[in-house]
Amino acid sequence: MNMFKIAWRNLWRNPRRTGITLTAMVLSTVVLIVTYALMRGMIIDMEHSVTDITIGQAQIHHIDYRKERSLYDIIDNPNRIIAYAQDNGIGVSPRSFGYGLLSSGTKSAGVQFWGITPEMERTVSKLNENLFKGDFLLDEPGMHVVLGRKLARTLNAGPGSELIAVVQAADGSLGNEIVYVKGILKGIGETLDRSMAIIHRKDFESLFVLYEGYHEMAFNSWGSMTPEEVASAIETVSAGNEVKTWRSLMPGVSDMLNTFDGATIIFLAIFFLAAALGVLNTLLMATYERIPEFGLLKAIGTSPLRIIRDIAAEALVLGVFSSLIGGVIGIALAVYFHHNPIDLSAFAEGFNTAGIVMNAQWRAVLTIKGVAYPVMVMWVVSVLAALYPAFKAARLDPVRALTHV
Amino acid sequence: MRREISIFFVMIFFMLLPSAPALSEDAKISSEAILNHVDDLFRGNSSYATMTMKVVTRHYTREITLEGWTRGKDYSLIRVLSPLKEKGTATLKAGNNIWNYLPKVKRVIKIPSSMMGGSWMGSHFTNDDLIKESRMADDYEHSITFDGTREGVEMIDLELIPKPEAAVVWGKVVVSVRKKDLVPVKIDYYGERLDLERTMVFIDIREMGGRLLPSVLRINPADKPQEYTQIIYKEIAFDIELADSFFSLRTLQSGTTP
Repeated sequence: MNMFKIAWRNLWRNPRRTGITLTAMVLSTVVLIVTYALMRGMIIDMEHSVTDITIGQAQIHHIDYRKERSLYDIIDNPNRIIAYAQDNGIGVSPRSFGYGLLSSGTKSAGVQFWGITPEMERTVSKLNENLFKGDFLLDEPGMHVVLGRKLARTLNAGPGSELIAVVQAADGSLGNEIVYVKGILKGIGETLDRSMAIIHRKDFESLFVLYEGYHEMAFNSWGSMTPEEVASAIETVSAGNEVKTWRSLMPGVSDMLNTFDGATIIFLAIFFLAAALGVLNTLLMATYERIPEFGLLKAIGTSPLRIIRDIAAEALVLGVFSSLIGGVIGIALAVYFHHNPIDLSAFAEGFNTAGIVMNAQWRAVLTIKGVAYPVMVMWVVSVLAALYPAFKAARLDPVRALTHV
Repeated sequence: MRREISIFFVMIFFMLLPSAPALSEDAKISSEAILNHVDDLFRGNSSYATMTMKVVTRHYTREITLEGWTRGKDYSLIRVLSPLKEKGTATLKAGNNIWNYLPKVKRVIKIPSSMMGGSWMGSHFTNDDLIKESRMADDYEHSITFDGTREGVEMIDLELIPKPEAAVVWGKVVVSVRKKDLVPVKIDYYGERLDLERTMVFIDIREMGGRLLPSVLRINPADKPQEYTQIIYKEIAFDIELADSFFSLRTLQSGTTP
């Protein structure tokens, strides 16, 4: 204990030098923590932008559905699966799909109808928040439709427009209804933008004459479980159906995210290295400057080990102290950027790459790792940086050390 | 020199020309005549027919009665008579366009080209089948591949390969007709890769509307042997009086008859 007290006192015998070193270390810690949190935030945001808009973390389908997309391949035992998911706190949204035609006077387009139950859809996706114009479906059926953005443009339709839906119904008849546009979605990916027409489950039933059965169920635990955990939980009650995580449903996007994740780690490593070298340099200079001082200590009979120990102790105290300050400031900034995301909308109104819609708000996400790594790096660097000149000083002839410039 | 050669070839060409068709003239003319006969069987300057269409698929079986008018190859109008739920649903074809009238919503919609491959009224016919105006004798290279007795009936088979520039979807078509009256019995449709895609069979040949016709027409998709669409003609009349204005969107919507 005494050793650290002496180290603390020693540090403040030259406040200016210590101040400079301290500032360098604090700044590096802050920058590292904030960078780490922003990078994490970007990756998490990308994953969420994939899972939370429509896909969810995992999905199930009838074993043949994804191959043929037939109206008749419906999920086995749907109610049991829904009940199981809800009991386990996993959001679940059953969906039905059917292909057909939407027409408005002279314009018409082939569409994929999504029959959803709005209050259940909200537990899985943020579709209801992703509106470009108008409102989302109401909880009650009313022959309303929400359109993909490009589809709305093709049909020249806006909220309030009246469209005619014509489909091949499950009994072979020509299902047809007048539907009213309730809202238009923001861009959420090329295919969906062009083809998606969301209607209430009950309206879907009467349009397609398909009163029971779902083609897809999407699950989302909103981060409390990993996609793999969600999938394996659902698997236990889904015999006969196909269970997939979003990663295996969208392997391309998943690979892209993995690559991006890898690139981030390299980027962070370079950042850490640069910060470490900066601190190393400052500390080295500070210690070199004190070599005559160590010579004096040696001349009055201090053992080399004691010198090394004292210098290491000083460096450690400095490291801990600066990482404490840096940690507090870094955490505060990261928390600030978490609640006040960096606004990129000046550059672009949401990015859309390969089906990933990037939020224009860049949010930081603080993790334990994101604080622990920078702090540990500071401690290690500070001690290492001090030890080398300390060894050198300890081995020096006192006379030469005294005159060392 | 070059000119001489080309003139030489032209001369040879003209020498060969008269003899070439002469060799196969009988076969050529008769295969063309057969195809024209098959193509025109249900056509006339104009026609009126009532029919029942039965569709059997793995998932549903439905039966609807229809009445339809045609004029030349460009115009037709088909209207659903029953079941009640779909009564009044109508399809108008004019040239390359198809409109559907939907009585439930009281609207006419035009079928976009992207939906032409879709099923017509839940049957195994596509919208495309309705509008195609191909004449087999014009769009295909045709040859007789069988001329003899099969199952006690004298039959002729023709193999049709699409001409390179023809806008047809099939890779090959095989038409079988009875030799004595050229009434079709079966048509096999092959895809681009020459695998059988669907078969049309003609059953119950008898006199209707003053012509000898198969009164039942059944289409079978090759990949779903248990499924079929069958049309039974109940009544057919040819060369009836139809005004030009009959094949209009107004007729389609109002449900009037001529």
